[in-house]
Amino acid sequence: MGKRNQLVEVLGSGKRLKGLRVDAVYNPNTTDRKQPGYPMPMRSCYLTGVCTPSPWLFSPPFYVSYLLIWVTNLFLLVQREEKQLEASLDALLSQVADLKNSLGSFICKLENEYGRLTWPSVLDSFALLSGQLNTLNKVLKHEKTPLFRNQVIIPLVLSPDRDEDLMRQTEGRVPVFSHEVVPDHLRTKPDPEVEEQEKQLTTDAARIGADAAQKQIQSLNKMCSNLLEKISKEERESESGGLRPNKQTFNPTDTNALVAAVAFGKGLSNWRPSGSSGPGQPGQPGAGTILAGTSGLQQVQMAGAPSQQQPMLSGVQMAQAGQPGKMPSGIKTNIKSASMHPYQR
Amino acid sequence: MEAPPVTMMPVTGGTINMMEYLLQGSVLDHSLESLIHRLRGLCDNMEPETFLDHEMVFLLKGQQASPFVLRARRSMDRAGAPWHLRYLGQPEMGDKNRHALVRNCVDIATSENLTDFLMEMGFRMDHEFVAKGHLFRKGIMKIMVYKIFRILVPGNTDSTEALSLSYLVELSVVAPAGQDVVSDDMKNFAEQLKPLVHLEKIDPKRLM
Repeated sequence: MGKRNQLVEVLGSGKRLKGLRVDAVYNPNTTDRKQPGYPMPMRSCYLTGVCTPSPWLFSPPFYVSYLLIWVTNLFLLVQREEKQLEASLDALLSQVADLKNSLGSFICKLENEYGRLTWPSVLDSFALLSGQLNTLNKVLKHEKTPLFRNQVIIPLVLSPDRDEDLMRQTEGRVPVFSHEVVPDHLRTKPDPEVEEQEKQLTTDAARIGADAAQKQIQSLNKMCSNLLEKISKEERESESGGLRPNKQTFNPTDTNALVAAVAFGKGLSNWRPSGSSGPGQPGQPGAGTILAGTSGLQQVQMAGAPSQQQPMLSGVQMAQAGQPGKMPSGIKTNIKSASMHPYQR
Repeated sequence: MEAPPVTMMPVTGGTINMMEYLLQGSVLDHSLESLIHRLRGLCDNMEPETFLDHEMVFLLKGQQASPFVLRARRSMDRAGAPWHLRYLGQPEMGDKNRHALVRNCVDIATSENLTDFLMEMGFRMDHEFVAKGHLFRKGIMKIMVYKIFRILVPGNTDSTEALSLSYLVELSVVAPAGQDVVSDDMKNFAEQLKPLVHLEKIDPKRLM
Protein backbone atom coordinates (compact mmCIF):
# COMPACT_ATOMS: atom_id res chain seq x y z
CA MET A 1 0.00 0.00 0.00
CA GLY A 2 2.84 2.27 0.73
CA LYS A 3 4.37 1.92 -2.66
CA ARG A 4 1.03 2.24 -4.29
CA ASN A 5 0.44 5.43 -2.40
CA GLN A 6 3.73 6.78 -3.60
CA LEU A 7 2.79 5.97 -7.13
CA VAL A 8 -0.52 7.60 -6.64
CA GLU A 9 1.21 10.60 -5.22
CA VAL A 10 3.32 10.92 -8.29
CA LEU A 11 0.46 10.29 -10.62
CA GLY A 12 -2.08 12.28 -8.81
CA SER A 13 0.10 15.21 -8.09
CA GLY A 14 -0.72 16.65 -11.43
CA LYS A 15 2.78 16.43 -12.76
CA ARG A 16 2.87 16.71 -16.48
CA LEU A 17 4.43 13.62 -17.95
CA LYS A 18 5.38 14.19 -21.53
CA GLY A 19 2.80 16.92 -21.72
CA LEU A 20 -0.04 14.58 -20.90
CA ARG A 21 -1.97 14.34 -17.79
CA VAL A 22 -2.06 10.89 -16.41
CA ASP A 23 -4.99 9.58 -14.52
CA ALA A 24 -4.89 8.66 -10.95
CA VAL A 25 -4.87 5.04 -10.05
CA TYR A 26 -8.23 3.56 -9.50
CA ASN A 27 -8.42 1.17 -6.68
CA PRO A 28 -11.91 -0.13 -6.16
CA ASN A 29 -11.16 -1.03 -2.61
CA THR A 30 -10.21 2.33 -1.45
CA THR A 31 -12.75 5.00 -1.25
CA ASP A 32 -10.45 7.87 -0.61
CA ARG A 33 -9.68 8.41 -4.30
CA LYS A 34 -13.21 8.72 -5.34
CA GLN A 35 -13.36 12.17 -6.64
CA PRO A 36 -16.59 14.05 -6.78
CA GLY A 37 -18.20 15.01 -10.02
CA TYR A 38 -16.50 12.38 -12.08
CA PRO A 39 -19.07 10.18 -13.66
CA MET A 40 -16.45 8.17 -15.51
CA PRO A 41 -14.53 5.53 -13.69
CA MET A 42 -10.92 6.25 -13.55
CA ARG A 43 -8.80 3.67 -15.14
CA SER A 44 -5.38 2.71 -14.00
CA CYS A 45 -2.66 3.41 -16.29
CA TYR A 46 1.06 3.13 -16.27
CA LEU A 47 3.72 5.61 -16.99
CA THR A 48 3.67 5.04 -20.75
CA GLY A 49 2.45 8.40 -21.66
CA VAL A 50 -0.84 6.98 -22.85
CA CYS A 51 -3.45 9.61 -23.03
CA THR A 52 -6.49 8.33 -21.39
CA PRO A 53 -9.77 10.13 -21.69
CA SER A 54 -9.85 11.93 -18.51
CA PRO A 55 -12.57 14.54 -18.69
CA TRP A 56 -10.12 17.12 -17.51
CA LEU A 57 -8.56 16.97 -20.86
CA PHE A 58 -11.56 18.41 -22.55
CA SER A 59 -11.51 21.62 -20.75
CA PRO A 60 -11.30 24.81 -22.85
CA PRO A 61 -7.64 25.70 -22.34
CA PHE A 62 -6.80 22.41 -23.91
CA TYR A 63 -8.97 22.95 -26.95
CA VAL A 64 -6.65 25.55 -28.35
CA SER A 65 -3.52 23.54 -27.77
CA TYR A 66 -5.10 20.54 -29.37
CA LEU A 67 -6.13 22.56 -32.33
CA LEU A 68 -2.63 23.91 -32.65
CA ILE A 69 -1.11 20.46 -32.47
CA TRP A 70 -3.49 19.14 -35.07
CA VAL A 71 -2.79 21.96 -37.44
CA THR A 72 0.99 21.50 -37.06
CA ASN A 73 0.64 17.83 -37.74
CA LEU A 74 -1.34 18.46 -40.86
CA PHE A 75 1.19 20.92 -42.08
CA LEU A 76 4.02 18.51 -41.48
CA LEU A 77 2.11 15.82 -43.29
CA VAL A 78 1.58 18.02 -46.28
CA GLN A 79 5.24 18.94 -46.30
CA ARG A 80 6.24 15.35 -46.11
CA GLU A 81 3.96 14.46 -48.98
CA GLU A 82 5.35 17.24 -51.06
CA LYS A 83 8.85 16.04 -50.41
CA GLN A 84 7.82 12.53 -51.38
CA LEU A 85 6.21 13.78 -54.53
CA GLU A 86 9.29 15.69 -55.47
CA ALA A 87 11.58 12.78 -54.80
CA SER A 88 9.48 10.36 -56.78
CA LEU A 89 9.18 12.83 -59.61
CA ASP A 90 12.95 13.11 -59.69
CA ALA A 91 13.34 9.38 -59.83
CA LEU A 92 10.75 9.15 -62.57
CA LEU A 93 12.48 11.88 -64.52
CA SER A 94 15.84 10.17 -64.39
CA GLN A 95 14.30 6.87 -65.46
CA VAL A 96 12.51 8.48 -68.33
CA ALA A 97 15.68 10.27 -69.37
CA ASP A 98 17.53 6.93 -69.46
CA LEU A 99 14.76 5.40 -71.48
CA LYS A 100 14.83 8.30 -73.90
CA ASN A 101 18.57 7.94 -74.34
CA SER A 102 18.44 4.25 -75.07
CA LEU A 103 15.56 4.76 -77.48
CA GLY A 104 17.56 7.44 -79.22
CA SER A 105 20.62 5.27 -79.56
CA PHE A 106 18.50 2.40 -80.84
CA ILE A 107 16.97 4.62 -83.51
CA CYS A 108 20.44 5.83 -84.49
CA LYS A 109 21.62 2.26 -84.72
CA LEU A 110 18.72 1.29 -86.93
CA GLU A 111 19.17 4.26 -89.20
CA ASN A 112 22.92 4.27 -89.57
CA GLU A 113 23.98 0.66 -89.36
CA TYR A 114 21.11 -0.74 -91.30
CA GLY A 115 23.27 -2.80 -93.57
CA ARG A 116 25.32 -4.62 -91.00
CA LEU A 117 22.85 -4.89 -88.18
CA THR A 118 22.50 -8.37 -86.76
CA TRP A 119 19.49 -9.82 -85.04
CA PRO A 120 21.28 -10.42 -81.73
CA SER A 121 22.25 -6.78 -81.57
CA VAL A 122 18.66 -5.70 -82.17
CA LEU A 123 17.56 -8.11 -79.48
CA ASP A 124 20.07 -6.55 -77.12
CA SER A 125 18.59 -3.11 -77.67
CA PHE A 126 15.11 -4.42 -77.09
CA ALA A 127 16.25 -6.13 -73.93
CA LEU A 128 17.74 -2.90 -72.69
CA LEU A 129 14.51 -1.03 -73.37
CA SER A 130 12.45 -3.70 -71.70
CA GLY A 131 14.69 -3.60 -68.64
CA GLN A 132 14.35 0.13 -68.37
CA LEU A 133 10.60 -0.04 -68.69
CA ASN A 134 10.60 -2.56 -65.92
CA THR A 135 12.55 -0.31 -63.59
CA LEU A 136 10.19 2.50 -64.50
CA ASN A 137 7.29 0.33 -63.49
CA LYS A 138 9.02 -0.54 -60.25
CA VAL A 139 9.60 3.10 -59.46
CA LEU A 140 5.93 3.83 -60.07
CA LYS A 141 4.83 0.96 -57.88
CA HIS A 142 7.19 1.86 -55.09
CA GLU A 143 5.50 2.30 -51.74
CA LYS A 144 7.00 5.72 -51.23
CA THR A 145 5.52 7.00 -54.46
CA PRO A 146 2.35 8.96 -53.96
CA LEU A 147 -0.55 8.25 -56.24
CA PHE A 148 0.02 10.39 -59.25
CA ARG A 149 -3.57 9.92 -60.18
CA ASN A 150 -4.50 12.32 -57.44
CA GLN A 151 -2.43 15.09 -58.95
CA VAL A 152 -3.79 17.30 -61.66
CA ILE A 153 -1.81 19.32 -64.15
CA ILE A 154 -3.57 22.36 -65.49
CA PRO A 155 -1.97 24.62 -68.03
CA LEU A 156 -2.17 28.13 -66.74
CA VAL A 157 -1.01 30.11 -69.74
CA LEU A 158 -1.15 29.16 -73.39
CA SER A 159 0.60 31.40 -75.87
CA PRO A 160 1.54 31.05 -79.50
CA ASP A 161 4.88 32.80 -78.88
CA ARG A 162 8.17 30.97 -78.74
CA ASP A 163 9.27 30.20 -75.25
CA GLU A 164 13.03 30.03 -74.88
CA ASP A 165 12.94 28.34 -71.49
CA LEU A 166 10.71 25.61 -72.79
CA MET A 167 12.96 25.16 -75.79
CA ARG A 168 15.93 24.70 -73.57
CA GLN A 169 14.21 22.27 -71.26
CA THR A 170 12.83 20.08 -74.00
CA GLU A 171 16.09 20.19 -76.02
CA GLY A 172 14.47 22.10 -78.83
CA ARG A 173 11.59 19.76 -79.42
CA VAL A 174 8.77 21.92 -78.05
CA PRO A 175 9.25 25.54 -79.07
CA VAL A 176 5.78 26.77 -78.31
CA PHE A 177 3.38 25.97 -75.52
CA SER A 178 0.26 26.51 -77.55
CA HIS A 179 -3.16 25.04 -78.13
CA GLU A 180 -1.95 22.32 -80.47
CA VAL A 181 0.85 21.17 -78.24
CA VAL A 182 -1.14 20.85 -75.04
CA PRO A 183 -3.64 18.11 -76.05
CA ASP A 184 -0.76 15.83 -77.04
CA HIS A 185 1.59 16.50 -74.18
CA LEU A 186 -0.86 16.67 -71.33
CA ARG A 187 -2.96 13.78 -72.54
CA THR A 188 -4.12 11.28 -69.96
CA LYS A 189 -6.51 9.16 -72.02
CA PRO A 190 -5.72 7.40 -75.26
CA ASP A 191 -6.84 8.66 -78.67
CA PRO A 192 -10.54 8.40 -79.41
CA GLU A 193 -9.89 5.86 -82.16
CA VAL A 194 -7.71 3.83 -79.84
CA GLU A 195 -10.37 4.02 -77.17
CA GLU A 196 -12.92 2.73 -79.64
CA GLN A 197 -10.69 -0.19 -80.54
CA GLU A 198 -10.05 -1.04 -76.94
CA LYS A 199 -13.75 -0.95 -76.17
CA GLN A 200 -14.36 -3.25 -79.12
CA LEU A 201 -11.75 -5.68 -77.89
CA THR A 202 -13.13 -5.75 -74.37
CA THR A 203 -16.66 -6.42 -75.62
CA ASP A 204 -15.34 -9.22 -77.83
CA ALA A 205 -13.47 -10.71 -74.96
CA ALA A 206 -16.50 -10.50 -72.69
CA ARG A 207 -18.66 -12.11 -75.34
CA ILE A 208 -16.63 -15.30 -75.52
CA GLY A 209 -17.25 -16.30 -71.98
CA ALA A 210 -14.88 -17.20 -69.20
CA ASP A 211 -14.58 -20.94 -69.95
CA ALA A 212 -13.85 -20.60 -73.61
CA ALA A 213 -11.34 -17.89 -72.82
CA GLN A 214 -9.58 -20.15 -70.34
CA LYS A 215 -9.44 -22.94 -72.89
CA GLN A 216 -7.96 -20.61 -75.46
CA ILE A 217 -5.37 -19.40 -72.99
CA GLN A 218 -4.38 -22.92 -72.11
CA SER A 219 -4.04 -24.05 -75.70
CA LEU A 220 -1.91 -21.02 -76.48
CA ASN A 221 0.37 -21.77 -73.54
CA LYS A 222 0.66 -25.39 -74.57
CA MET A 223 1.58 -24.49 -78.14
CA CYS A 224 4.17 -22.01 -76.97
CA SER A 225 5.81 -24.49 -74.64
CA ASN A 226 5.85 -27.18 -77.36
CA LEU A 227 7.52 -24.80 -79.73
CA LEU A 228 10.08 -23.79 -77.12
CA GLU A 229 10.87 -27.41 -76.39
CA LYS A 230 11.33 -28.18 -80.05
CA ILE A 231 13.67 -25.26 -80.51
CA SER A 232 15.80 -26.08 -77.49
CA LYS A 233 16.00 -29.74 -78.46
CA GLU A 234 17.08 -28.81 -81.98
CA GLU A 235 19.72 -26.49 -80.60
CA ARG A 236 21.08 -29.08 -78.25
CA GLU A 237 21.17 -31.77 -80.87
CA SER A 238 22.84 -29.77 -83.54
CA GLU A 239 25.60 -28.78 -81.15
CA SER A 240 26.70 -32.04 -79.70
CA GLY A 241 24.22 -34.82 -80.10
CA GLY A 242 24.38 -34.92 -83.86
CA LEU A 243 28.13 -35.24 -83.81
CA ARG A 244 28.52 -37.73 -81.07
CA PRO A 245 27.02 -40.98 -82.26
CA ASN A 246 28.52 -41.23 -85.69
CA LYS A 247 31.34 -38.77 -85.76
CA GLN A 248 33.71 -39.84 -83.07
CA THR A 249 36.95 -38.38 -84.23
CA PHE A 250 39.28 -39.92 -81.73
CA ASN A 251 39.51 -42.92 -79.54
CA PRO A 252 41.07 -42.45 -76.11
CA THR A 253 42.26 -46.03 -75.91
CA ASP A 254 44.08 -45.54 -79.15
CA THR A 255 45.65 -42.43 -77.75
CA ASN A 256 46.96 -44.32 -74.77
CA ALA A 257 48.24 -47.17 -76.88
CA LEU A 258 50.05 -44.85 -79.24
CA VAL A 259 51.58 -42.79 -76.48
CA ALA A 260 52.76 -45.93 -74.75
CA ALA A 261 54.25 -47.19 -77.99
CA VAL A 262 56.21 -44.02 -78.53
CA ALA A 263 57.25 -43.61 -74.93
CA PHE A 264 58.59 -47.06 -74.19
CA GLY A 265 57.79 -49.29 -77.09
CA LYS A 266 54.72 -51.00 -75.80
CA GLY A 267 53.32 -53.19 -78.52
CA LEU A 268 56.20 -52.60 -80.89
CA SER A 269 58.93 -54.89 -81.98
CA ASN A 270 59.84 -55.64 -78.42
CA TRP A 271 60.62 -59.08 -79.56
CA ARG A 272 62.61 -61.76 -77.99
CA PRO A 273 65.06 -63.46 -80.31
CA SER A 274 64.12 -67.10 -79.94
CA GLY A 275 63.94 -70.31 -81.84
CA SER A 276 61.84 -70.07 -84.89
CA SER A 277 60.40 -73.41 -85.68
CA GLY A 278 57.27 -72.09 -87.11
CA PRO A 279 56.83 -69.75 -90.02
CA GLY A 280 59.33 -67.02 -90.40
CA GLN A 281 56.75 -64.42 -89.66
CA PRO A 282 56.49 -63.59 -86.03
CA GLY A 283 52.98 -64.31 -85.02
CA GLN A 284 51.40 -61.57 -83.22
CA PRO A 285 48.06 -60.69 -81.81
CA GLY A 286 45.87 -58.78 -84.18
CA ALA A 287 45.51 -55.07 -84.00
CA GLY A 288 42.38 -55.70 -82.07
CA THR A 289 44.28 -56.43 -78.90
CA ILE A 290 46.15 -53.22 -79.19
CA LEU A 291 42.96 -51.36 -79.64
CA ALA A 292 41.48 -53.07 -76.69
CA GLY A 293 44.15 -51.43 -74.60
CA THR A 294 45.30 -54.39 -72.63
CA SER A 295 47.34 -53.73 -69.60
CA GLY A 296 50.63 -55.40 -68.97
CA LEU A 297 53.27 -55.57 -71.54
CA GLN A 298 52.25 -56.87 -74.90
CA GLN A 299 54.95 -58.89 -76.45
CA VAL A 300 55.14 -59.69 -80.04
CA GLN A 301 55.37 -63.38 -80.33
CA MET A 302 58.10 -64.68 -82.41
CA ALA A 303 57.29 -67.98 -83.92
CA GLY A 304 58.02 -69.49 -80.61
CA ALA A 305 59.12 -72.72 -79.27
CA PRO A 306 57.53 -73.89 -76.09
CA SER A 307 60.53 -72.48 -74.38
CA GLN A 308 58.71 -69.24 -74.43
CA GLN A 309 56.49 -70.41 -71.70
CA GLN A 310 58.96 -69.34 -69.11
CA PRO A 311 58.30 -65.95 -67.63
CA MET A 312 60.91 -63.51 -68.71
CA LEU A 313 62.79 -61.39 -66.31
CA SER A 314 64.80 -58.36 -67.09
CA GLY A 315 68.28 -59.06 -68.09
CA VAL A 316 67.61 -62.62 -69.01
CA GLN A 317 68.83 -63.43 -72.39
CA MET A 318 66.94 -65.93 -74.40
CA ALA A 319 68.62 -68.55 -76.42
CA GLN A 320 68.99 -67.33 -79.86
CA ALA A 321 68.19 -69.18 -82.95
CA GLY A 322 69.98 -68.18 -86.03
CA GLN A 323 67.52 -65.90 -87.62
CA PRO A 324 68.54 -64.11 -90.71
CA GLY A 325 68.34 -60.37 -90.66
CA LYS A 326 68.26 -60.13 -86.91
CA MET A 327 69.79 -57.31 -85.01
CA PRO A 328 73.12 -58.06 -83.35
CA SER A 329 72.98 -60.53 -80.56
CA GLY A 330 73.08 -59.68 -76.92
CA ILE A 331 69.90 -57.81 -76.80
CA LYS A 332 68.95 -57.05 -73.29
CA THR A 333 65.38 -56.12 -73.01
CA ASN A 334 63.83 -54.07 -70.35
CA ILE A 335 60.69 -55.85 -69.43
CA LYS A 336 58.56 -54.53 -66.71
CA SER A 337 56.12 -57.34 -66.30
CA ALA A 338 55.78 -60.83 -67.49
CA SER A 339 52.75 -61.77 -69.43
CA MET A 340 51.76 -65.04 -70.85
CA HIS A 341 50.57 -64.63 -74.29
CA PRO A 342 47.34 -66.51 -74.99
CA TYR A 343 48.41 -67.61 -78.43
CA GLN A 344 51.13 -70.14 -78.35
CA ARG A 345 52.53 -71.17 -81.62
CA MET B 1 72.21 -43.09 -65.24
CA GLU B 2 69.32 -40.69 -65.40
CA ALA B 3 70.29 -37.10 -65.77
CA PRO B 4 69.53 -35.18 -62.61
CA PRO B 5 66.55 -32.86 -62.78
CA VAL B 6 67.20 -29.65 -64.61
CA THR B 7 66.60 -27.42 -61.64
CA MET B 8 69.53 -28.92 -59.81
CA MET B 9 72.00 -28.49 -62.61
CA PRO B 10 74.37 -25.59 -62.27
CA VAL B 11 74.16 -23.02 -64.96
CA THR B 12 77.73 -23.05 -66.08
CA GLY B 13 78.89 -22.35 -69.54
CA GLY B 14 77.94 -24.51 -72.41
CA THR B 15 74.57 -25.28 -73.84
CA ILE B 16 71.31 -24.02 -72.43
CA ASN B 17 69.09 -26.70 -71.04
CA MET B 18 66.26 -27.09 -73.42
CA MET B 19 62.95 -28.46 -72.32
CA GLU B 20 60.39 -30.10 -74.48
CA TYR B 21 56.78 -29.17 -73.78
CA LEU B 22 54.48 -31.81 -75.08
CA LEU B 23 50.77 -32.38 -75.61
CA GLN B 24 49.48 -35.55 -77.19
CA GLY B 25 46.28 -36.84 -78.62
CA SER B 26 45.05 -39.04 -81.38
CA VAL B 27 42.66 -38.91 -84.28
CA LEU B 28 40.93 -41.75 -86.06
CA ASP B 29 41.84 -42.43 -89.67
CA HIS B 30 38.59 -41.27 -91.13
CA SER B 31 38.84 -37.89 -89.43
CA LEU B 32 42.39 -37.30 -90.53
CA GLU B 33 41.40 -35.20 -93.52
CA SER B 34 39.39 -32.74 -91.47
CA LEU B 35 42.21 -32.44 -88.98
CA ILE B 36 44.72 -31.78 -91.75
CA HIS B 37 42.49 -29.12 -93.23
CA ARG B 38 42.07 -27.44 -89.89
CA LEU B 39 45.77 -27.52 -89.21
CA ARG B 40 46.53 -26.08 -92.61
CA GLY B 41 44.27 -23.21 -91.76
CA LEU B 42 45.60 -22.65 -88.27
CA CYS B 43 49.30 -23.15 -88.80
CA ASP B 44 51.89 -21.19 -90.67
CA ASN B 45 51.45 -21.05 -94.35
CA MET B 46 53.78 -23.53 -95.92
CA GLU B 47 53.61 -26.48 -98.18
CA PRO B 48 52.24 -29.49 -96.36
CA GLU B 49 55.21 -31.46 -95.25
CA THR B 50 55.13 -35.23 -94.99
CA PHE B 51 57.74 -37.35 -93.42
CA LEU B 52 58.68 -41.00 -93.21
CA ASP B 53 61.04 -41.71 -90.37
CA HIS B 54 62.54 -44.79 -88.86
CA GLU B 55 63.20 -44.50 -85.16
CA MET B 56 65.26 -46.82 -83.04
CA VAL B 57 65.37 -46.67 -79.29
CA PHE B 58 68.59 -47.72 -77.57
CA LEU B 59 69.08 -48.64 -73.98
CA LEU B 60 72.17 -48.66 -71.88
CA LYS B 61 71.76 -50.68 -68.77
CA GLY B 62 74.04 -49.53 -66.05
CA GLN B 63 74.29 -50.50 -62.43
CA GLN B 64 71.19 -48.49 -61.60
CA ALA B 65 67.79 -49.95 -62.14
CA SER B 66 66.60 -47.57 -64.83
CA PRO B 67 68.45 -47.67 -68.10
CA PHE B 68 69.59 -44.73 -70.10
CA VAL B 69 67.46 -44.22 -73.20
CA LEU B 70 68.56 -42.62 -76.44
CA ARG B 71 66.47 -42.28 -79.57
CA ALA B 72 68.00 -42.41 -83.00
CA ARG B 73 65.92 -41.30 -85.92
CA ARG B 74 66.62 -41.34 -89.59
CA SER B 75 64.63 -40.08 -92.48
CA MET B 76 63.63 -42.68 -95.00
CA ASP B 77 62.38 -40.35 -97.68
CA ARG B 78 64.95 -37.59 -97.59
CA ALA B 79 68.26 -38.74 -98.85
CA GLY B 80 71.24 -37.10 -97.30
CA ALA B 81 69.50 -35.83 -94.22
CA PRO B 82 71.50 -36.33 -91.04
CA TRP B 83 70.52 -38.77 -88.40
CA HIS B 84 68.91 -37.31 -85.32
CA LEU B 85 69.87 -38.38 -81.83
CA ARG B 86 67.65 -37.35 -78.99
CA TYR B 87 67.68 -37.67 -75.24
CA LEU B 88 64.45 -37.18 -73.33
CA GLY B 89 64.48 -36.93 -69.59
CA GLN B 90 61.84 -37.81 -67.10
CA PRO B 91 58.78 -35.61 -67.19
CA GLU B 92 58.81 -32.94 -64.55
CA MET B 93 55.79 -33.45 -62.42
CA GLY B 94 54.40 -31.37 -59.64
CA ASP B 95 53.00 -28.28 -61.18
CA LYS B 96 49.34 -28.91 -61.80
CA ASN B 97 48.91 -25.58 -63.46
CA ARG B 98 51.29 -26.40 -66.20
CA HIS B 99 49.23 -27.64 -69.05
CA ALA B 100 51.88 -29.51 -70.95
CA LEU B 101 54.24 -32.34 -70.18
CA VAL B 102 57.70 -30.92 -69.62
CA ARG B 103 60.89 -32.89 -69.92
CA ASN B 104 64.51 -32.21 -70.48
CA CYS B 105 65.54 -32.63 -74.08
CA VAL B 106 68.83 -32.77 -75.94
CA ASP B 107 68.87 -32.95 -79.73
CA ILE B 108 71.91 -33.76 -81.80
CA ALA B 109 72.39 -34.28 -85.50
CA THR B 110 74.79 -37.03 -86.35
CA SER B 111 76.29 -38.85 -89.25
CA GLU B 112 75.11 -42.17 -90.57
CA ASN B 113 77.22 -44.45 -88.49
CA LEU B 114 75.25 -43.65 -85.38
CA THR B 115 74.01 -47.15 -84.73
CA ASP B 116 77.46 -48.66 -84.92
CA PHE B 117 78.72 -46.02 -82.57
CA LEU B 118 76.01 -46.67 -80.07
CA MET B 119 76.57 -50.38 -80.25
CA GLU B 120 80.21 -49.91 -79.56
CA MET B 121 79.33 -47.74 -76.59
CA GLY B 122 77.31 -50.56 -75.17
CA PHE B 123 73.81 -49.53 -76.08
CA ARG B 124 71.42 -52.16 -77.20
CA MET B 125 68.36 -51.59 -79.31
CA ASP B 126 65.16 -51.96 -77.46
CA HIS B 127 62.52 -51.32 -80.04
CA GLU B 128 62.01 -49.58 -83.30
CA PHE B 129 59.16 -48.28 -85.37
CA VAL B 130 58.38 -46.36 -88.50
CA ALA B 131 56.53 -43.07 -88.30
CA LYS B 132 54.73 -41.72 -91.34
CA GLY B 133 52.74 -38.56 -91.31
CA HIS B 134 52.49 -34.82 -91.63
CA LEU B 135 54.35 -32.00 -90.03
CA PHE B 136 53.02 -28.51 -89.32
CA ARG B 137 54.55 -25.54 -87.66
CA LYS B 138 53.12 -22.50 -85.93
CA GLY B 139 55.74 -20.15 -84.59
CA ILE B 140 57.82 -22.26 -82.27
CA MET B 141 55.15 -24.93 -81.98
CA LYS B 142 55.53 -28.08 -83.97
CA ILE B 143 52.54 -30.26 -84.72
CA MET B 144 53.10 -33.79 -85.94
CA VAL B 145 50.35 -36.08 -87.09
CA TYR B 146 51.74 -39.50 -87.75
CA LYS B 147 50.94 -43.15 -87.84
CA ILE B 148 53.12 -45.66 -86.07
CA PHE B 149 54.06 -48.82 -87.90
CA ARG B 150 55.44 -51.84 -86.24
CA ILE B 151 58.39 -53.44 -87.93
CA LEU B 152 57.67 -57.09 -88.41
CA VAL B 153 61.03 -58.30 -89.45
CA PRO B 154 63.65 -56.55 -87.42
CA GLY B 155 65.88 -54.40 -89.52
CA ASN B 156 63.61 -54.61 -92.50
CA THR B 157 61.69 -51.43 -92.74
CA ASP B 158 59.60 -52.56 -95.65
CA SER B 159 57.55 -55.09 -93.82
CA THR B 160 55.58 -52.89 -91.55
CA GLU B 161 52.15 -52.97 -90.10
CA ALA B 162 50.11 -50.21 -88.59
CA LEU B 163 49.88 -50.32 -84.87
CA SER B 164 46.33 -48.99 -84.64
CA LEU B 165 43.65 -47.29 -86.63
CA SER B 166 44.57 -43.86 -85.34
CA TYR B 167 47.12 -41.23 -85.99
CA LEU B 168 49.08 -39.84 -83.10
CA VAL B 169 48.96 -36.06 -82.83
CA GLU B 170 51.74 -34.35 -80.98
CA LEU B 171 52.10 -30.67 -80.22
CA SER B 172 55.58 -29.91 -79.02
CA VAL B 173 57.76 -26.94 -78.30
CA VAL B 174 61.44 -27.01 -77.51
CA ALA B 175 62.27 -24.00 -75.41
CA PRO B 176 64.72 -23.02 -72.71
CA ALA B 177 63.85 -24.07 -69.21
CA GLY B 178 61.54 -21.91 -67.15
CA GLN B 179 59.33 -20.48 -69.86
CA ASP B 180 56.03 -21.73 -68.65
CA VAL B 181 54.11 -19.22 -70.68
CA VAL B 182 54.76 -21.52 -73.59
CA SER B 183 52.42 -24.07 -72.11
CA ASP B 184 49.63 -21.50 -72.04
CA ASP B 185 50.10 -20.84 -75.74
CA MET B 186 50.02 -24.53 -76.37
CA LYS B 187 46.84 -24.92 -74.42
CA ASN B 188 45.19 -22.14 -76.40
CA PHE B 189 46.19 -23.80 -79.62
CA ALA B 190 44.94 -27.14 -78.39
CA GLU B 191 41.57 -25.55 -77.65
CA GLN B 192 41.25 -24.71 -81.30
CA LEU B 193 41.60 -28.31 -82.30
CA LYS B 194 38.72 -29.48 -80.17
CA PRO B 195 36.49 -31.41 -80.66
CA LEU B 196 38.40 -33.13 -83.42
CA VAL B 197 41.34 -33.99 -81.20
CA HIS B 198 41.78 -33.71 -77.49
CA LEU B 199 45.38 -32.78 -76.88
CA GLU B 200 46.34 -33.35 -73.31
CA LYS B 201 49.19 -34.05 -71.01
CA ILE B 202 49.55 -37.80 -70.88
CA ASP B 203 51.93 -39.22 -68.34
CA PRO B 204 53.65 -42.25 -69.86
CA LYS B 205 54.28 -43.76 -66.46
CA ARG B 206 50.56 -44.18 -66.04
CA LEU B 207 50.42 -46.38 -69.07
CA MET B 208 53.17 -48.77 -68.16
